[in-house]
Amino acid sequence: MNWLVLALAGGFVGLDSTSFPQAMISRPLVAATLGGLIFGDPVTGAMLGVILEVLTFVVLPVGAARYPESGTAAAAAAAALVHTGASWADTPLLLMAALFALGWERVAGLTVVLGRKVNERFVADIPAATSAERAVVRAHMLALGFDWLRGAACVLVGALAGSLLLRLFGPLLQLDTNTAGGVIAVAATALAGAGLSLFGGWRERRVTFGIGILCGLLLILAA
Amino acid sequence: MTAVPRTALTSMLLRSFSAQGSWNYRTLIGCGFAFSLLPVLRVIYRDDPTRFDAAVRRHAELFNSHPYVTPLALGAVTVLEGVEDPAVIERFKQGVRGSLGSLGDRLIWAGWRPVCLLAAVLAILLGAAWSVAVIGFLLLYNMGHVFVRVWSLRVGLTYGKRVGERLRSAPVERLQHMLQTAGAFLLGVLLPLIATGRLTHTNLGWPWIAAAAVAGLLGVLYGARVRVPVTFAMAAVVLLGIMIGIGR
Repeated sequence: MNWLVLALAGGFVGLDSTSFPQAMISRPLVAATLGGLIFGDPVTGAMLGVILEVLTFVVLPVGAARYPESGTAAAAAAAALVHTGASWADTPLLLMAALFALGWERVAGLTVVLGRKVNERFVADIPAATSAERAVVRAHMLALGFDWLRGAACVLVGALAGSLLLRLFGPLLQLDTNTAGGVIAVAATALAGAGLSLFGGWRERRVTFGIGILCGLLLILAA
Repeated sequence: MTAVPRTALTSMLLRSFSAQGSWNYRTLIGCGFAFSLLPVLRVIYRDDPTRFDAAVRRHAELFNSHPYVTPLALGAVTVLEGVEDPAVIERFKQGVRGSLGSLGDRLIWAGWRPVCLLAAVLAILLGAAWSVAVIGFLLLYNMGHVFVRVWSLRVGLTYGKRVGERLRSAPVERLQHMLQTAGAFLLGVLLPLIATGRLTHTNLGWPWIAAAAVAGLLGVLYGARVRVPVTFAMAAVVLLGIMIGIGR
């Protein structure tokens, strides 16, 4: 039953990323929480989602550029992690799940390109159609339906593959909690730092960024 | 302008949420634009099926825009359709295509969205419940999202062909500057928290924190280019860990 709900929800995550309604349900933070929630552990989903959000932060979906689809991959990875029985405190498995999501988002990104090519065929019928109105509605609905199916398939297949990989290789992974946490911290700090380019980069925003770092350090000292 | 009932405009606005639904490499969002415009075109050409059909065909051709500001073009076309020559409408659409794309990219994708996300991530790292952070993010972000769509439609309907002038006088640059400043500050606050292991609730030693600081600096210097090497480095560590496990 959970897998069916995951597929249904996955379809909406896939739709949300480009097609409808772009309400950011497809952000890794939200999608991973959803994936975890469906298998009964939203906290683990959210924790993986926060990591993936930072690792994905710098990716901008601009125009016709090809980009990895992080939402469906995050939902799949979170569902897989929770399905294996791991929790957010299981840092080595959290690292493996995050890495799986970074790989799966590339596969999901390829399906986006495929979907766009399929849409080309749908809209190709419009010029020759007897009724342009009917042809436009038909092409648009078919495209939305296809994208929903694509999203559902990405999340479902991703969650199954992720679950299999985590079960197979998870017990073999020889990393202690501290090392796995350190790897995540180093990777996430690099990509969070890269995010400054979204806001104008070092030259433009160094003062505000520096004040932010000081505030962050104060928060750590105060804790 | 033909009087268009509020219901048709509302229907157009709601349809605009799916304007990118049939995105393709041939007409980009052209089909979605025509789909969104249908309720209005039905009103404007209710007595002339031939012109209605021709208008739908015209609008299904190549067009692109940021999805959130598509209602601006839809609103302007509502004003122009049935009044102006189709060639003028086509020129107008060609003229606004680039600027609507860049406006949304600058204000939403590189402004509002990352700021809201950083606030949500920061809230979780500072101990907020996942439900508060996730639902709070969705509410806050979508308040801005829906506002932009409604504002765009109003501007399009009010200014028609002259939307370009309105956009030039709108405080876009100032708003972008404010969002970028807020984003850089929030990112700065987050960085030490991430570098010290807050993402995984791990108490990291100084060597890890120092490595994270260097990685953060490289990220600042090289931007998005660090993403692929970082992924490969993570994969290398995990593979090594698995190989050690297999060897035992």
